[in-house]
Amino acid sequence: MTLFGCAREKEVAELVRLGQWPQAFPAELRAHVSLCRACGELVLVSGAFQRARVEAGTAARLEAAGPLWWRAQLLRRNAAIERIRKPILGAEIFALTITLLVAVGFLASEAGKVHGWLSWFEDLPKALHFEALWPSMPTSVDGNVWLVVPVLALLALLSGVVVYFASEKQ
Amino acid sequence: MSWESVIPNVLAGDAKAVACPPMESEEFAGFYERSARALWAYLARVSTDPALADDLMQESYVRFLGASRPEEGEVAARRYLFRIATNLLRDHWRRPRQASIEEIPEEFFQARDESGQSDSRAVLGPAMKLMRPRDRQLLWLAYAEGYSHREIAEITGLASASIRLLLFRARHKIARLLREQDVNDGRRL
Repeated sequence: MTLFGCAREKEVAELVRLGQWPQAFPAELRAHVSLCRACGELVLVSGAFQRARVEAGTAARLEAAGPLWWRAQLLRRNAAIERIRKPILGAEIFALTITLLVAVGFLASEAGKVHGWLSWFEDLPKALHFEALWPSMPTSVDGNVWLVVPVLALLALLSGVVVYFASEKQ
Repeated sequence: MSWESVIPNVLAGDAKAVACPPMESEEFAGFYERSARALWAYLARVSTDPALADDLMQESYVRFLGASRPEEGEVAARRYLFRIATNLLRDHWRRPRQASIEEIPEEFFQARDESGQSDSRAVLGPAMKLMRPRDRQLLWLAYAEGYSHREIAEITGLASASIRLLLFRARHKIARLLREQDVNDGRRL
């Protein structure tokens, strides 16, 4: 037997595949198989594998095709969404960058007017007449926003803490 | 209504790569019916693990549906399916030890299912266990599925020229094992 086998192997393999071994084999070919080592091997191996294939096929526990198809659709959809999500994320980052740049530019252009805003804040208690809401306010504090605002913030913070502990106890 | 119509042109970039439109549910059901048993038999006999064959078969079909399959008809689709399954088997074997499939000792691949031995399993099973995993693949594809050397090369990713030699050696070895088994069974009887 050589590496190139026998010239009749193809013919023998086809007949074995069709399930014609040994009864339906021509007598001449049967005689050849009994003498040719390559063809003998082929019949032995091919027959064993064909029988194994049939038996293993009947033993298979097959799942329904529907769930597999839907699972594949879900994966395809997720992959597609993932693909379009990348450019959307890029566009979002670009838009945010532009917005920040515009905001910074605007603030820079308005920097000269900051002093005017501060004086407006200082005049705010007067405009809102806080002294009327808080009659006991010392006259020295009147108009001093730098003292009023921290006091209000501290009160807000303390009330928040009190509410938090009260809800914790409940 | 398919999801592609909801998200139009999502796959427009892949249009050139896709050789064939995705299978519809009914078309897939028919293809599955015709190919699943053969694929399971291949996976079960080559891996010698029916539970693993169940998992890999499902994964093979899911990947098959998700991939751009060839347009040459069912024969090519079936060959492509076997190729996916072969790659999954190879990945499975490589994963636990992070080593080449050729370096993994054969004991690692020995069967873990001893239940329900049928006639052909009793004949072919012991001999298959003594073969290298790659040889099992080649033998099954050639003698159970009837694929040509070129088709086997396409499925396994091996060079077409080396298939003939590898298959010759594998067939010679399993034939010897089957004969020895016959002799041993005869002695036992």
